[in-house]
Amino acid sequence: MSLFIRKYKPGVVYNTQILWRLNSTTAETQKQGEEEEEFRVLDILQKKTRIQKKAARRADIQPDRSEKMPTDQNWGNVWPGPRSFHPSSVPLPIRQGYVPKGQAPPGKKANAELMKIPNFLHLTPPVIKTQCEAIKPFCTEWPKLLNSEEAIEKHYPVEVITSDYCHASPTIRNPLARIVTMRVKLSDLKLDSRARDKFLRLVGDKYDEKTDLVTFTADRCPVRKQNLDYVNYLLTACYHESWTVEDWEKEKCLEDMEYYDFDMHPSKKNLVNWFFMSNNKENNLSDDEIKSFDTSSIPNGVEYKNAVSELFNEGENVTTLKNYDTAVRKLLGLPEKKVVD
Amino acid sequence: MNTPTILKLVQPLNILSKCSPVFASQFHTSSALCRVVSGKYRITKKRDRPLTYEMANPPHYIAHRKSWNSWNTSSLKDGLRKSETAVEDEFIRRFINGTWHGLVCSEVIIKRQFNHIRIAAIIRRAVSPTKMYFLIGYTEELLSTWIQCPVTLELQTVDSYKDVVFKYI
Amino acid sequence: MNAIRGLWRTTPLVRSVLNKITLNRQFATATIPPIKPIEEVPNTVELDKLYKRVELEMRGIDPAVLLSYSWFCIAAASNLGIEVTKSWALRKAEKERHTLLRCVHIYKKHRVQYEIRTYFRFLHLQRLTGSTCDTFLEYIERNLPEGCALKVTKVECQKMPDHLTPPQE
Repeated sequence: MSLFIRKYKPGVVYNTQILWRLNSTTAETQKQGEEEEEFRVLDILQKKTRIQKKAARRADIQPDRSEKMPTDQNWGNVWPGPRSFHPSSVPLPIRQGYVPKGQAPPGKKANAELMKIPNFLHLTPPVIKTQCEAIKPFCTEWPKLLNSEEAIEKHYPVEVITSDYCHASPTIRNPLARIVTMRVKLSDLKLDSRARDKFLRLVGDKYDEKTDLVTFTADRCPVRKQNLDYVNYLLTACYHESWTVEDWEKEKCLEDMEYYDFDMHPSKKNLVNWFFMSNNKENNLSDDEIKSFDTSSIPNGVEYKNAVSELFNEGENVTTLKNYDTAVRKLLGLPEKKVVD
Repeated sequence: MNTPTILKLVQPLNILSKCSPVFASQFHTSSALCRVVSGKYRITKKRDRPLTYEMANPPHYIAHRKSWNSWNTSSLKDGLRKSETAVEDEFIRRFINGTWHGLVCSEVIIKRQFNHIRIAAIIRRAVSPTKMYFLIGYTEELLSTWIQCPVTLELQTVDSYKDVVFKYI
Repeated sequence: MNAIRGLWRTTPLVRSVLNKITLNRQFATATIPPIKPIEEVPNTVELDKLYKRVELEMRGIDPAVLLSYSWFCIAAASNLGIEVTKSWALRKAEKERHTLLRCVHIYKKHRVQYEIRTYFRFLHLQRLTGSTCDTFLEYIERNLPEGCALKVTKVECQKMPDHLTPPQE
C-alpha cells in the first residue's frame, strides 16, 4: 500500500485494472521503479488491437485496375496472353453461377467458376486481326494455275497424308504421329496391261476399285521420316517389280486368266469362222491373226463381244443375259424377242 | 528388435501386390470411395455451415452447374498419361494446400496447356504481400523442378473466407 | 580455330583448294594419281510443299470452348486468306461409360453409371502452301485453350517421282 500512496497524485485517474495489476506484481515493479508505464497490459478481450490491424491492412490494398481503365484503351495490351480470369483487370460486369430463381448469380469477384473456364479474352477480333497482319508476310499464295481439283490431280498425283497431334503433357511426342499414308491413282501410274495386272496382284487389298486409289500405310517404324521413306520404297518396289517379267510368268495359260478376254477365247474363233462362212469366204487365217482380227469389221460384232465378256466377267444375271440375247439376235439377224404378256 | 520382424512380415505382401495384378486387386490398400457422401455436405442444426459455390453443388452437377477443377487432355478419348496426370494433380493440390496453409479459400484449379501448368486459386489476404510473393516464387520453383514443366500461379486474393461463401446450410 | 572452321564451312572454293593441297601432299610419295575432290552438289531450290487439304479435329470436354476455338480458327483463316471448306461438330459426344453397382455388395439390379464425355469438332481447310500452313498452324496451336486436344491431318500433294517410269530395254 505504501507504493500506492507514493504514486498517487491528485488529478490522475487510475482505474481498478491497473491497481490490480500493480498489486499482483509488486516484486518486479519495485525493481524497475519508474518504468511501470510500459508494462504490457493484459487485454483479455483484445478488442482494440484487432480493429487497428484491420484498418491498417485495408489501407494498402490497391483499388481495382479495371476502375482506372480508360474506355479507349488497347485491350490487347491489358490481356496479352492466355490467363485465368482475374476480376480486377476485366472491366465487365460478369456473373456466373447457378442460383435458384429470383436471385442474382455470384459476381465476378471471388468467383472460382470464372477462373475455371478457359477464356478467350486475349483473342478478341481486333487482336486476331493485328496478329494475322503481323504473320501474313510469312504466308505465300496458292499457285493460281492450280485452281481446280483436276489440275491439282494432274500435276501432283501423289497424296501423302500425315497427322500432327497437339496435347497437354510434358512431352510433345505422340506415337500416332508416326503413321504415314500415301495414295496414288492407279491410272496415273504408267503401266501396261500385264504390269497393271501384276501390280494389282502385288498390292492386293491396298487397291480400292471404286475410287481407283492405291493406298499404302506405314506405321512400323518409330519415326515419321522412316515411315515416309518406307512408303516411298513400297511404291517404287511394287512398280518396278510389276514391270519385270519372270520366266514362270510365260506359263500362264487361258485357264489361269483372272478375267474373260474375248480375243483369247475360242468364241472369237467361232465368231470369225462364222463370219467368213456366212460371207462365203475361205477362212485361212492363223490363230494369231484371228486373235488380232478386228471385231468391228463384223456387223454388230463389238456388241456381241461386249455382251459375251460381260456375261463371263460379271456373272449371269438378268441384265447381262438380256444383253447377250439382244446381241446374238442382232448378230444372227434374228427377229427381236417378242414380249409375251 | 521388433522392427525387422515387422518389416519381414510386411514385405511379402508388398512384393505380391507389385508382382501380380490379382493380388494387388484383392487388397484394399486405399481408403474407401464413399460415393454417397463424398463431395456432399450435411445440413447443420444451426444452419451455419459455410459453403462455397463449389461445395454447394454436389459432384453430379459437374459440367451442368459447375465445371472441372483440372483441365487437361489426358481425360479425353485416347488421351496420353492418364494416371500420371491424375497423380501429379493430386500432388500439386496437396502441395499448394500445405504451402499456403489455411490461405486457400477455393479449390485449386489446375490447367494444362502444352507443357505449361497454370495453377489458379483464391487466396486469403492473411499474410503480408512480401510473404505472398515469396510463396508464389517458392511454389513455382519447387513444382517446376519436380514436375519438369513451367508452372505459373494465377492467384486471386480476397479479404476473408466470408467473401467466397455462397450459402450457409 | 573457330574462324578457320567457319571459313571451311562457308567457302567451297577455299575448301576445294585446301583439299587439293592436302591430297597432293598425301599422295605425293605414292604413284596413285590424285583423287579429284567430290563435286559440290548443285544448290537446288527447295520447293515449298503444297497441301491440298488440312483437316483439324478438336477434342474437348466443353463444347462451348470448342465452339469459341473453332470461331477463332475461322477468323484467323479468313484474315490470312485461307479457304475454309467445312466446319461441323458431332451431334452427340463420345461417351466412355462405367457401370458400377450402386451398393457395395448386394442389389445387383441397381447400378450407377459414370461417363466421361469427349466432344468433337472438325474444321476443313483447303489449298495451303507449306509456309502458309506452318504459319497458320503455329498460330492456332499456340492459342489452343487448356483441356483441348488438336489433331491436324495434312494431305500433301506431290509430283509423281521421276523414277516411276517404265524401264527402257
